[in-house]
Amino acid sequence: MEAVVCIKPVPEADSRLRVAASGVTYDPEGVRYTLNSTYDEAALEEALRLKEAGAFEKVRVVSVGPPRAEEGLRYALAMGGDEGLLVETRPDDLLDPGFTAAVLAEAVRSLPHDLVLVGRRAGDDEAGVVGSALGEHLGIPSFAFVTGLTVSGGGSPLKVRRFTEAGEELLSVPPPVVISLLKGAQDPRTPTLPNILKARRKPLLREPWTEVLSRHPGAPVRAPAMRFELPPPRTGAHLVDYQSPAEAAEKLVKLLREEAKVL
Amino acid sequence: MSPTALVVADPRSPVGIRTTLEALGAARALLDRSGGGKVALALLGHGLGDVPEAAKRWGADQVLVLDDPRLAIFRSETYAWGAEGLVKRLAPPVVVLLPGSTMGRELVGRLSARLGGGGTSEALELELEETRGLRVRRPLFGGKASETLSLPFPAVASLRPNAFAPSEASAAAPVEAVELPKAGPAGPGAELLERSPVPVSDTPPLTQAPVVVSGGRGLRGPENWPLLEDLARALGAGLGASRAVVDAGWRPAAEQVGQTGASVSPQLYVAVGISGAIQHLVGMSSSRCIVAINTDPSAPIFKVADYGVVGDALVLLPPLTEAIRRARAGAGP
Ligand SMILES: Cc1cc2nc3c(=O)[nH]c(=O)nc-3n(C[C@H](O)[C@H](O)[C@H](O)COP(=O)(O)OP(=O)(O)OC[C@H]3O[C@@H](n4cnc5c(N)ncnc54)[C@H](O)[C@@H]3O)c2cc1C
Repeated sequence: MEAVVCIKPVPEADSRLRVAASGVTYDPEGVRYTLNSTYDEAALEEALRLKEAGAFEKVRVVSVGPPRAEEGLRYALAMGGDEGLLVETRPDDLLDPGFTAAVLAEAVRSLPHDLVLVGRRAGDDEAGVVGSALGEHLGIPSFAFVTGLTVSGGGSPLKVRRFTEAGEELLSVPPPVVISLLKGAQDPRTPTLPNILKARRKPLLREPWTEVLSRHPGAPVRAPAMRFELPPPRTGAHLVDYQSPAEAAEKLVKLLREEAKVL
Repeated sequence: MSPTALVVADPRSPVGIRTTLEALGAARALLDRSGGGKVALALLGHGLGDVPEAAKRWGADQVLVLDDPRLAIFRSETYAWGAEGLVKRLAPPVVVLLPGSTMGRELVGRLSARLGGGGTSEALELELEETRGLRVRRPLFGGKASETLSLPFPAVASLRPNAFAPSEASAAAPVEAVELPKAGPAGPGAELLERSPVPVSDTPPLTQAPVVVSGGRGLRGPENWPLLEDLARALGAGLGASRAVVDAGWRPAAEQVGQTGASVSPQLYVAVGISGAIQHLVGMSSSRCIVAINTDPSAPIFKVADYGVVGDALVLLPPLTEAIRRARAGAGP
């Protein structure tokens, strides 16, 4: 069996965001990007451990993103991925998650994919819609909020443990399937120097997204962003002044009840 | 041309029901703001028992029931297929609103791809655009920013928990049982091997709790957590933690709030002994009201908090819990 892991670089959590001139997204100027979203790295680590346990012959990594996403793919290859595919966008191509899923589906379709792994959600748009949309486009099952995965290989069903608010469920699912991990393996490995060097010679294919999408049946709909906004700066806390702890408690409760109306 | 709203219920758990009521409330408010329209509630499952009887008073105009063995466990594939059948029966344009439970958040991608309209998750605000579609404002970067999208009809959106007022109990709406076609979605399904019961806990799950109380290193040690748990119980709150205390082994990883933990957006977030590192803030700064308790008046948490108390949490927590208990009992200040 062979696996595909979908990865994406996202802005660092402490990036300072500014509204772009277009008003519909943020200004990439001054934003530092992670190589890959932490959720995606956890998903890749999970896939690599499964491969090492003999479940997969190959783990491929795919990213839909601008040229700089290649760095993230190289890093993923240095972690142990076998091949990479960059579906390249230009900086001013704004692909919403639903549209990205359609593009991604055509990229994944061109690769053997008994298991497609995605992270819980991206660290920027936090949408979490790609996994099940990908399943729909590929015409295969998908499961989200997955907390554990057992793959014995050879095409036998996967054991999928997932979170639901009504209790955890253990499911038996025949491949191929898309799995969206709630939490992947903890502590993704850091590539060693020899592996970084080796990764430079691993195959990494690039294709423009328009070309990949041209293989998609029908034209997927776009949900354009109309506005990007930053919240008004918080003015800082109203600090309760008090003589005794009991007074602090009474004053705080009064504020929460009468002013904030949250009690 | 008034639109129709379809809410797909998640009756599997108390959280599912609460978020379903929020979706019904959001649907009604949305249609009322633009001249009315019908709200239909879809109940999908197998062996639904008396759920339809209860659900007809949840505030919809019509309850559509799909009771079918193929819907016995939630799979986005079969549920999207079932919901698609219902959407096609309704007068267009149709807006599908999904609860902010795991079911709604998983279904949104599959259903919008299937319907060929626009779809998004975590909606904070909804507005109809005459003939074009649904405008949705949603958070980005853990609430550090937001975007407004325009979703073409049929539009599908799952809602951010706690962002919309739940619907109120209504007179009984008509209930209609709908048959699914014999031919189902292609491909073999999944088999449920076991279901473990929800761990018994007197606090609600973190990501959907309307109130969250979180503790950090300022609480000094795990032995002081009963103070925080008492406060959480008084507030009916979920328990959260900073990564520092998870890493120290004081609290389980499931409680971690932040970049590498859960993202929460409750009505009220109480941060106790938490400094307010950016990696923590991205997981909670979109909460409606934030309270911080910290000995250090210059702690960054006070910059995002609405209310703060500078002082020792170990001393402040007991009277605070007491005051909240009294306020909740109606005898308070
Ligand atoms: C890649 C990465 C990811 C991360 N992800 C997360 C994440 O998901 N979640 C997260 O929380 N952190 C995360 N962190 C860690 C984060 O940077 C902080 O280290 C962490 O949040 C600090 O936890 P803390 O506030 O409990 O501890 P501290 O920063 O040590 O703060 C303790 C606070 O308690 C106050 N205090 C002390 N005594 C008392 C008292 N008696 N009463 C009241 N207040 C008192 C102090 O003034 C101080 O402000 C991440 C870091 C990295 C690098």
